[in-house]
Amino acid sequence: MSEGEQKVKLLSSDQVEIETERKVAERSMLIKNMIEDLGAPGEEPIPIMNVSEAVLRKVLEWCQHHKNDPAPTQDDDADSRKKTTDIEDWDQKFMQVDQEMLFEIILAANYMDIKALLDVGCKTVANMIKGKSPEEIRKTFNIQNDFTPEEEDQIRRENEWAEDR
Amino acid sequence: MDYASPTDDEHESLARMPSQSHNNRFYSGHGKARATHTRPRPINTPSSSMTNVPTMPIPIPSNPNVIPGNTLPSAPASPPTPAPSPTPMGREPDWSTADPREDIGDLELDEHDHGSARTSTVDSAGYSFGYRHMRAMFAQMDNDERQRMLGELLNMCDGKLLGFVAGFVGPRLKRDPFSVLPNELCLRILTFIDEPKTLARSSQVSRRWRELVSDDMAWKSLCERHAYRRLSDEPSSTGRPVTAAQSSNSEQRHQHPYGYHHGFAQMHNPSLAGLSSSAPDLTRRMSMNHAPSVLPPTLSTRASSSAVKRRPKALTYRSHFKQRYQVETAWRTGGKVDTRQITPDQGVVTSLHLTPNYIIVALDNAKIHVFDTEGRHLRCLQGHVMGVWAMVPYGDTLVSGGCDRDVRVWDLQSGQAVHMLRGHTSTVRCLKMSGPNVAISGSRDTTLRIWDIKKGICRHVLVGHQASVRCLEICGDLVVSGSYDTTARIWSISEGRCLRTLQGHFSQIYAVAFDGKRVATGSLDTSVRVWDPRDGRCLAQLQGHTSLVGQLQLRNDTLVTGGSDGSVRVWSLQTYSAIHRLAAHDNSVTSLQFDDSRIVSGGSDGRVKVWDLDRGVLVRELGSPAEAVWRVVFEEEKAVVLASRNGKTVMEVWSFAPPPEDEASPYSLRSSTNGISSITPYQDPAYGERPNYGRGDSSDQSKAMTQQHDENMNDGYDVPTESDEGRASVMEDVEEGTQ
Repeated sequence: MSEGEQKVKLLSSDQVEIETERKVAERSMLIKNMIEDLGAPGEEPIPIMNVSEAVLRKVLEWCQHHKNDPAPTQDDDADSRKKTTDIEDWDQKFMQVDQEMLFEIILAANYMDIKALLDVGCKTVANMIKGKSPEEIRKTFNIQNDFTPEEEDQIRRENEWAEDR
Repeated sequence: MDYASPTDDEHESLARMPSQSHNNRFYSGHGKARATHTRPRPINTPSSSMTNVPTMPIPIPSNPNVIPGNTLPSAPASPPTPAPSPTPMGREPDWSTADPREDIGDLELDEHDHGSARTSTVDSAGYSFGYRHMRAMFAQMDNDERQRMLGELLNMCDGKLLGFVAGFVGPRLKRDPFSVLPNELCLRILTFIDEPKTLARSSQVSRRWRELVSDDMAWKSLCERHAYRRLSDEPSSTGRPVTAAQSSNSEQRHQHPYGYHHGFAQMHNPSLAGLSSSAPDLTRRMSMNHAPSVLPPTLSTRASSSAVKRRPKALTYRSHFKQRYQVETAWRTGGKVDTRQITPDQGVVTSLHLTPNYIIVALDNAKIHVFDTEGRHLRCLQGHVMGVWAMVPYGDTLVSGGCDRDVRVWDLQSGQAVHMLRGHTSTVRCLKMSGPNVAISGSRDTTLRIWDIKKGICRHVLVGHQASVRCLEICGDLVVSGSYDTTARIWSISEGRCLRTLQGHFSQIYAVAFDGKRVATGSLDTSVRVWDPRDGRCLAQLQGHTSLVGQLQLRNDTLVTGGSDGSVRVWSLQTYSAIHRLAAHDNSVTSLQFDDSRIVSGGSDGRVKVWDLDRGVLVRELGSPAEAVWRVVFEEEKAVVLASRNGKTVMEVWSFAPPPEDEASPYSLRSSTNGISSITPYQDPAYGERPNYGRGDSSDQSKAMTQQHDENMNDGYDVPTESDEGRASVMEDVEEGTQ
């Protein structure tokens, strides 16, 4: 049995055991490093402490789809910064979830160290912000405006330069 | 990568924020199972819930059939799989499985129990007891039961009530990401915002957002996206030699990026700002008229140019970005222009330089005018007896040459001539500096001369060209000269000998560019050639222009050329192919310069155009059309145009500097002075040598100008001198005949 076809058991924060391919699970650098530390996937499920079953399943679904993506490189970070905020179609659909789930995916991707998923999540949120007025942003995320009218006015003036073009 | 601890910190700081109270559930409620039993967020009554949703009054849709459920940006359209967190509208309840006794029995019971208290009017106490009962019951249910219960209740609702539910539930499904996520992730999200408008608007959302946007990370990333220089890369405006800063002869522009030029403080300091006819200001006139009498001219100008020139260095990426962005915006749509007549006669401008300290203009009437960078006249350098056709500044030194065959060295601070270097036997057509002490001149006498301008001696005479030396460019120890003999030659400055001859053009060479790695030449044969300076090989012949190529600039792997055909072409030196072909001017391109982002071209059609280098599109036309544009130079925040307007020789100094940080009035108001307001009439310089304008040669002047119009201005013809006549007439015949 090749490494990729090996199975890995994961344990969600709510104590649900999920089995998946090692290759899929190793999209997560957290899991990859754990398995490497152990030498091989053991019989004991790997606890993913901060991620609930629902979120873990969702994350693994993403990993499944992206299991053949090239492994991230060291200078990947600098590269992707410069790239556009485009999100590929499948990822876009994948991210069409309610906000609670979206943010949980981001937190899980961060915890599980899946950089590509983290970026997709962050880009999704960034795209929800883009092109909106402050009031529209507040509505989008149900945020209370906690500025005084004076502060609001001052901040608006501070930022007027960006509206110029 | 543990998000538990930052989350906890987060939680604490956020708990203080009133609007996020319901969001905190998100932290504690990671375990969904646990949430079933101790639900931290009880079902609120509508009135109490309103306090949590102050910005979202519950909307009752006028059309009850329209359920505003899809206002949710995250509403699942067609996810790859069903979203695991079901929304209230997520599932149709199945009534077939419902136990009949489940059916609202308790509510009726409540009503019976309190029947005696009930009259025909609704008893609020009775209802509240019923609610309490229901709530207790609901709290004991598991999630499946709750779902069924809710479904059942919702099924009883009409459109109006469903609208209420939607309005009630909608905002609750929304979360402020920046209250949910740890700072590190919030900032990461912000770095994916690629335009400043959104970032600026984000800082106006709430205190928390403002705090995050104030962190410089997002602005840093924005700087990188916009390819603005990093803060650390920003050169200080001191200590930079001027040689590379600007050269404006019809030959090659500098290859180096211009130095940063922080001129705005001066602009906004009324006591130092230049005269503006549109806004006469007594303070300024005072300073212009009286300051020089108090201070020796050199000292006062020194002080103003060195002390005031710098804008406080941007300390944050935000302010850095803001400054750069405002400059960009000003280049596109704004900018302030100061227009003034620089000479009472109709002098033809032959050369223009913009340095960190000076604007220097040479004329065909033997005068050289020196201005500060705001365009205020400092002095006039007099000594040449005929037209000045070439000049090059280096710090406070200026070297000039022209029809009188002399090369003159000037001290720009005092205006005094330092040396007069004799040797050339015909018009000096081109001049460049190699370090602070060496100047190299090219002449119609077919030679180049290497001068030691400190000692005032000629070190070498470079002999080899068979005709007029029209242009030259220096890099390191090498000088490349382009000649009317159709060849370019590479010379060693230190050895004073010719290393290589570049042969290939079929006609006169008018322009040369050289960056050490490549030589580019533009010729009357309409082609541009690129050469390898090491072996003299022609690397490429770039075809496309339909007339003389008189303008060339080389920068990194990009070559921009301008021709007498009015077109500007951008070439890739990696592929040796044209990237952009710009139909820039109706007549010949007289001036051309580009940097990382833009090309500025001037034409004998009187227009100055700004182009986007990457996209190859016109950004704007700078000012209204003049009769002719002699020269244009620019740097980061400034452009200087020398043009003929209403028969007058005028200088336009454009500033694209951002307003000071604390300026209350918005920038858009400042930049509204777009275009030409009026021309400051010529004023004799208040100090420095009083220019002695030649009289009686005005007919020559206008003739010269007409001629300039008819020919190509970039072609800066040679005015033959008496002693020159023999060969000159032949050369001019060739030149004019072939055009």
